[in-house]
Amino acid sequence: MKNEIKKINPVLRYFYVIISMFRTNIRDYGMYIALTIVFLIFAIMTNGLFLGPINFTNLLNQTAYVAVLAVGMTLVIVTRQIDLSVGYLGAFLGAYVVVSVENLHGSIPLALFSALLITVFVGIFKGFFVAKIKVPSFVITLAGMFIFKGFLMLMTNNRTIPTSNEFFNKIGVGYLSTAKIGGLDMITFIMGILIVILIVVSSILKRRKNRKLGIENESKQIYITKTLFVIFVLLFIAFNLASYRGVSYLLLITLVVMLVYFFFTTKTTLGRRIYAVGGNPEAAELSGIKVTTIIIIVFISMGILALISGVMYASYVQNTSPNHGPFWELYAIAATFIGGASASGGIGKIVNSVIGAVVIMSLKNGMALAGFDSNIEPIVLGSVLLMAVVFDIYTRNIRPVDLVGMYYAKRKYAEEYTKAKQNLKEAKQKLASAKKTDEPLIEYEYELTNAKSQYSRIKNKIRSSNEEDYQDMIKV
Amino acid sequence: MSENEKILVMRSITKTFPGVRALDEVDIHVDRGEIHFIVGENGAGKSTLMKVLSGIYSSGSYSGDIVFNGEIKHFSGIKDSVKEGIVIINQELALFPDLTVYENIYVGHEVANKQGVIDWIETKKLAKKYLDIVGLDVNLDSLVRSLGVGKQQLIEIAKALSQDVKLLILDEPTAALNENDSENLLNLLVELKKKGITSIMISHKLREVEAVADSLTILRDGKVITRMDSDEINEHEIIRHMVGRQIDDIFPERPKFKGGKVVFETIHFNAYDRNLNRYIVNDANIKLKEGEVVGLSGLMGAGRTEFAHSVFGNIDEYKISGGIIVNEKHVEFSHPQAAIKHGIAYVSEDRKKDGLILGENIGQNICLSSLKKISKNGILNFFKQSFFAKKYVKDLDIKTPSIYQQLKNLSGGNQQKVQVAKWLFAEPKILILDEPTRGIDVGAKYEIYTIINDLVSKGMSILIISSELPEILGMCDRIYVIAEGLQTAEFDKEEATAEKIMHKATVV
Ligand SMILES: Nc1ncnc2c1ncn2[C@@H]1O[C@H](COP(=O)(O)OP(=O)(O)OP(=O)(O)O)[C@@H](O)[C@H]1O
Ligand SMILES: [Mg+2]
Repeated sequence: MKNEIKKINPVLRYFYVIISMFRTNIRDYGMYIALTIVFLIFAIMTNGLFLGPINFTNLLNQTAYVAVLAVGMTLVIVTRQIDLSVGYLGAFLGAYVVVSVENLHGSIPLALFSALLITVFVGIFKGFFVAKIKVPSFVITLAGMFIFKGFLMLMTNNRTIPTSNEFFNKIGVGYLSTAKIGGLDMITFIMGILIVILIVVSSILKRRKNRKLGIENESKQIYITKTLFVIFVLLFIAFNLASYRGVSYLLLITLVVMLVYFFFTTKTTLGRRIYAVGGNPEAAELSGIKVTTIIIIVFISMGILALISGVMYASYVQNTSPNHGPFWELYAIAATFIGGASASGGIGKIVNSVIGAVVIMSLKNGMALAGFDSNIEPIVLGSVLLMAVVFDIYTRNIRPVDLVGMYYAKRKYAEEYTKAKQNLKEAKQKLASAKKTDEPLIEYEYELTNAKSQYSRIKNKIRSSNEEDYQDMIKV
Repeated sequence: MSENEKILVMRSITKTFPGVRALDEVDIHVDRGEIHFIVGENGAGKSTLMKVLSGIYSSGSYSGDIVFNGEIKHFSGIKDSVKEGIVIINQELALFPDLTVYENIYVGHEVANKQGVIDWIETKKLAKKYLDIVGLDVNLDSLVRSLGVGKQQLIEIAKALSQDVKLLILDEPTAALNENDSENLLNLLVELKKKGITSIMISHKLREVEAVADSLTILRDGKVITRMDSDEINEHEIIRHMVGRQIDDIFPERPKFKGGKVVFETIHFNAYDRNLNRYIVNDANIKLKEGEVVGLSGLMGAGRTEFAHSVFGNIDEYKISGGIIVNEKHVEFSHPQAAIKHGIAYVSEDRKKDGLILGENIGQNICLSSLKKISKNGILNFFKQSFFAKKYVKDLDIKTPSIYQQLKNLSGGNQQKVQVAKWLFAEPKILILDEPTRGIDVGAKYEIYTIINDLVSKGMSILIISSELPEILGMCDRIYVIAEGLQTAEFDKEEATAEKIMHKATVV
């Protein structure tokens, strides 16, 4: 054992710190990794077209309706439920609004408001059956899926009805219109910069408050790297969008929904109680939380988002049709799981589910753009979902790692390590040669297990080292 | 004593379940600022009484009056009782494993403005304050999942304190704690008493009752047998009232072990936990002879249960090295089934998770691991199932209206008895009992000890894992001590003392 070690090179240390953080928390970064890989692959396959301003804008617009559903689905899954009815519910509500406005010449606020009443009522109904009567949500929403499919066909009279009202045009294909300066849409660009400033300022404030309270912050290097990365991504998005037409209403609505729900789930009592109910319903009940009410609220919220999603989709494709609706709920569910939600409840983040939705729609968009056979698409989607779930399970019990600590440990225990390795080798050889003779093997076997455990003990000592453990023996 | 000094009076409380009169005209009273214990056999109605008090069983579902601070109260739910400052910590902890420590403390009564927006900074500040009071030093941001039971218990108490508790109810809080954690907890209760907080506590550990109780009430079969004040409290009297008869020696006599051939042995046995990144069992060399009772002692988390799990088919999927020898044959168990085939049985410490099926009835649970015994050509004989169920219900004195009762409706201790019965019925050659008497009353303990003696006299070998030193000292022919995964000592019955064991359990 050595008593003195040379200090690690600071550049190497920086990389070790970042990689250690990444490896330790890989679970939180799963969908970002997936997204990066998908983006890179398609960018290469399409010579950059995939990430170009036009396609990037299209991609986000295509994602909007799934992202909104995924936000609602996250809460449903967090509370250990499922909602299979929202695809056709959304399509039906979209049709309801379009038909009321286009065919019956109703006013838009009235159409939206009455659709809201319908969906709230449906939500209460589902939630009541699930939480009070204890019908499994799978069954009740499966029934709903059939029923709303029927309503959709009735509502559209089995025909495709185009939208013409200004409202739908604006939502579906409109952009926040502003002046372009130097080919850049100004409002988008300014919005991007404001968001960046907001994120930086609020995170600095948070770190300060934590320090005051004596709560540990993540290390400066990690914080700065992360923040720079986020700034880079945000600026890329802002720049990309601004060079085409700016922020579409579809994107705007999605962002608003995401932010509202982000705030709701992280900062409000009701939001946190949803997670409590999902994590441990009995304990929630004992903490004075009305589990039934929470579940009903979750289904109502899902319904409202289905309405928003349905109207967005109809506006986007500029019609309503009996063919709308299939697979919407499944995309939303898949997005939620790719985003790392747990089917056993209590875990699932809004932003991650939205990113999950982007992953799914990127696959669809990218494969079309790169000219894949469209029959391949569902196979790829399914495989990605499968990988996401396997990844989630595989990384569930990830061991924290500190590469800087390991660096020092490797130097400190160098001798012991080589010796243990040598012993192991010898024990293996002895056993092998004993096998050739008639000698009883048992003693050699024990020697081998002992050598093995010695070896893995030293290896683990190294593996579980922390930088702090070595402060005293670093040579300056 | 005037009514005023009594913080709580419960008058003629009666509560029935289908087929069971769980509480029968129960009267208790508790003085302000005291620690009051409720003791009694399994199924006596202790938990039920506390659930009535805390509004878990709402007013109307029982008869009788709850008088709290001189006023009659009707609680229609736990929220109502919390508002009055009555907080219950149940036998099953009510925490949220995937939420952080600070959030767990404030779930359900968040620090928020009128619009329901939470002030997390304030939440953290307050959480820290209460954690300091209960003496728990953990990272506020860690998930509760990552903490041990002892710490979780303290978080529950911090949660109670944050709700401005006046009367704290603890249902068997020390059942799952080791001696150190238990002592911490009891000291904390005494501390809180000084701050004016009254506690009601349920416990089967009569030693701690003797140590901290200011007064106690003894229940039997849903009725109050007697009330004692601090000067009258002594273990023997309590037992006599609880069981209704004299038990002179808690540990039944067994002839001295004469030695026998080794039937089970581990050699240089290691279990490596890939997630924790360390050896959870480290070079264990444990022998079990025919007809011998061997104890595995150590603090909670020392690796005793992990040892049992890795021997019994490596349930936790550790990386195993070293040898297991059963009846002079080298064996490897990759699945519990393989261990069972070699005549090994394991009674888990966590009956909910690894042991019992709560939705099924007593007979089904008892026969689950030995279906062969009650079937012929693969067809089950339900008469036999009922026959054996009846036999064990009688032998172990399991309190239940019928053998067809679902397990979830039994009291905690009676569930544990069913779990023991299940493995007794399997008649293994080698039986590993992990905390076999946790949450079990003294009378039933005696029954279980008697059965253990009976089984070893027939040649079975038993390994007992227990946190209760008296049990280890009273029952075992030989004792191994484990500390942090390492085997630190081996004692014969004659040389073992509590001090020696504790010493070896705390040093590495
Ligand atoms: N939900 C229920 N349904 C039917 N019977 C029940 C229910 N809850 C409790 N009982 C019965 O009521 C009686 C009292 O149970 P209780 O849980 O109060 O016992 P306890 O004194 O706490 O016992 P232990 O020491 O084993 O925890 C038992 O006979 C039990 O089987
Ligand atoms: Mg109980």
